[in-house]
Amino acid sequence: MKEIILHGRGGQGAVLAAQALASAAVFEDKYAMAFPHFGAERRGAPVAAFARIAEGRILTKAHIYKPDYVIVLDPWLAGLVDVAKGMEGHEGTSGGVPMGSVKTDICQGLNKKGAAVLNTARPPDEVRLSLEVCVGTVDATTIALETLGHPATNSCMLGAFAKTTEEVSIGSIEKGIMDVFGERLGEGIAERNVKAAKLGFERTEVGMCSGGREFPAQKKWLPDVDELPPGCAIRSQDTEYGKLGPGSTVQNETGSWRTFHPIVDDEKCTYCMLCWFHCPDGCIGRVPDKESVSVDYFYCKGCGICSEVCPVDAITMVREVEG
Amino acid sequence: MRLKLKDLPEENIFSSGHTACAGCGAAMAIRNIAKVLGKEIIIYVPASCLSVFNGLFPSCAWTVPYHHTVFENTGAAISGLSRAMKRKGLDNVTVVGIAGDGGTADIGLQALSGAAERNEDVIYICYDNEAYMNTGVQRSGSTPHGASTTTTPVGKLMKGKQDFKKDVPLIMMAHSVPYVATASVSFPLDLINKVKKAKETKGFRYLQVYAPCVPGWGYEQSKTVELGKLAVECGMWFLLECENGQLKINREPKMKNLETYLKMQGRFRHMDEKQIAELQESIERKWEFYKGYADLTQRLYSGSEASV
Repeated sequence: MKEIILHGRGGQGAVLAAQALASAAVFEDKYAMAFPHFGAERRGAPVAAFARIAEGRILTKAHIYKPDYVIVLDPWLAGLVDVAKGMEGHEGTSGGVPMGSVKTDICQGLNKKGAAVLNTARPPDEVRLSLEVCVGTVDATTIALETLGHPATNSCMLGAFAKTTEEVSIGSIEKGIMDVFGERLGEGIAERNVKAAKLGFERTEVGMCSGGREFPAQKKWLPDVDELPPGCAIRSQDTEYGKLGPGSTVQNETGSWRTFHPIVDDEKCTYCMLCWFHCPDGCIGRVPDKESVSVDYFYCKGCGICSEVCPVDAITMVREVEG
Repeated sequence: MRLKLKDLPEENIFSSGHTACAGCGAAMAIRNIAKVLGKEIIIYVPASCLSVFNGLFPSCAWTVPYHHTVFENTGAAISGLSRAMKRKGLDNVTVVGIAGDGGTADIGLQALSGAAERNEDVIYICYDNEAYMNTGVQRSGSTPHGASTTTTPVGKLMKGKQDFKKDVPLIMMAHSVPYVATASVSFPLDLINKVKKAKETKGFRYLQVYAPCVPGWGYEQSKTVELGKLAVECGMWFLLECENGQLKINREPKMKNLETYLKMQGRFRHMDEKQIAELQESIERKWEFYKGYADLTQRLYSGSEASV
């Protein structure tokens, strides 16, 4: 049995990709299952989906902790989440990270002969994860933007998965995409996704990455029931677990979600403040001295509303660069 | 005096770093509404998208007192909070309940109706994204005709929601409360001035804000504002204001481009000519009704505040 974790961000289609992968395996007369990690995650937040492929019946229904393969749909996630976690103890891997302590390790649990399939513009030998594993890399965001017009990298990464692991053929992946995407999104969209998968298959490079990347364990505030104040009412406070209470979301770096970021042309800006009003995340600041606006890239999710509402086209959206 | 964008403070009352989707209409509405209301407020939020993206315990985006209990209680909880503030002598504190359209039109309707009927001194804000988005797009009373959701899918027999949108602002007008208004995130000055007027009014105030939802409606995330403008243009959303029984129409819809509005969104993609004609007819009827209703109430309630 092969176990696969798909790491992505809400909206990139990790769940749909897991279903299409399972469907592809079924087309090869194998047994398969796919299911999401349920949570309150919104678009842009790190999410995971799971898939299992086997020659016989699958009786395990639990989450996957020691994956054979991981697929990472987002180019920045491998730097934030330890994707190789749990892959230790397998042929083709070396070193090891403490198990169970880090949630944010995409390498967590990668198995024997396992591989990580990553969305990145870098070649495999320039990738660094917590473990030294086999990786397949492809610039899926560029392919998705070319074929679909928006950065939904799920189908492209399935093509890359077929190339890297040879667990399923690219032909079955195409059938799986037509089956799952076709039913949910219509045939036209499914066909474009098949094209993205083919391009992903063609452009994937396979090699070994370097290991030893460290992911600091995040401390979580888990109070005892007696430690909770009445009514769970808490004041704004700084603790070893970070900020708690009112105003504490300021520590969330939502800027890591974006694919594009806005650039403001101070010369063109007429200081109408429409972008300032319409930014859902409060990233646009007013600069009265310059009669212009500034952007807080720590929070900017790259939705592009500022560029869209600007009456004088002073804001342009620029593709994010890895590095 | 009418409020302008430059009059709003720079400081956020609803902090950045919240986890709403990129391009969220609700987040856009709420952070600006909070800026107009100022710091002397208590916020109550029932189960909704907002209750999740404003931070799950112990994380919180609000820098003002924030209170969260169960889904159906908005009207009751804000009534209690408001009375407690009065009892403590804190008359300057405004109690604000912010709920989604599901928590307003369906689950919270009886508590809302009760609070309105008692004319509690509170502001109730409904951000209307036309379905239960928090749980993954299920139909609500506020979902428009024809929209595809997970509970009104497009199949062979039925294509999207068969029923029509519940008109909660009209229900609130029927409660004869001092202030009822509808606004949209795409009309900033209209929105902030309605919030200002609500803040300056005493008694029960109801505001319903049109807030497009990127994943639920299926459109390009940068088009939130454009979609809101189109909705008002084609008559899918009216900008209204009802003060002491007198209804005023703030913006006359052009009643065209309905198809452009529908085709921008995945939830309406399946709609054929017959369904679009049906929808067009229903919004035209609604528009005729509101025009007549505005004329009538202007005549009936002119001049007197006590006549409500």
